[in-house]
Amino acid sequence: MSTLIVIDQPPYGSWAGREALDMAFSLAAFDQPVSLLFCGAGVNWLRKGQEPGTIRQKSVEKNLAAAPIFGVEALLADGDDCKRYGLEAEQLLDGVTLVQADSQLFTNYSHTAFAG
Amino acid sequence: MTEIQTLHILNKSPEHPRFARCLSIAGPADTILLIENGVLGLGAASDRASGKVMVLAPDMAARGVNSSAELAEIIDYERMVELTTRAQQVISW
Repeated sequence: MSTLIVIDQPPYGSWAGREALDMAFSLAAFDQPVSLLFCGAGVNWLRKGQEPGTIRQKSVEKNLAAAPIFGVEALLADGDDCKRYGLEAEQLLDGVTLVQADSQLFTNYSHTAFAG
Repeated sequence: MTEIQTLHILNKSPEHPRFARCLSIAGPADTILLIENGVLGLGAASDRASGKVMVLAPDMAARGVNSSAELAEIIDYERMVELTTRAQQVISW
């Protein structure tokens, strides 16, 4: 029984994504199998070189780097959405797997929850 | 009691991109349950969904939304809990 947490909103504009990240890390910390999927504008979370100090926020890039430490099984990103936002594979954070976010993917998880 | 392949719990109004995404992904063996602002999309959902559509009564009443039984099955919180136990998968939009 595995859970998929989906982030489809961009970073920094709202808190929805960070709350989803907290949810995923909490599940993982209690040994519940969980993966994260970034799709739509959510793929912008995964861009290397974010410097949100300019808007007085903390980098979500650093948060995401903690995912394997907490035991999050996979960081997934929709390949088409990455293309749409001009994200090439080498611009993505390390450890991201490109997938197609469709109903086929969701069948691998007993629970799928969109953030916010 | 019949099994549900996937229970889609949809709490977004029809203008939200996830509303359309949910309707395009939900198959004929799936059930879409409209809750919160999702109840505002009852007409759109029952037109376009290939599977069954249900709607949560307290959220309809709160918004003054009425429906006929042909559009969707109207359910209470207890029935919602029971649906989650019968579904193979649950997707919370």
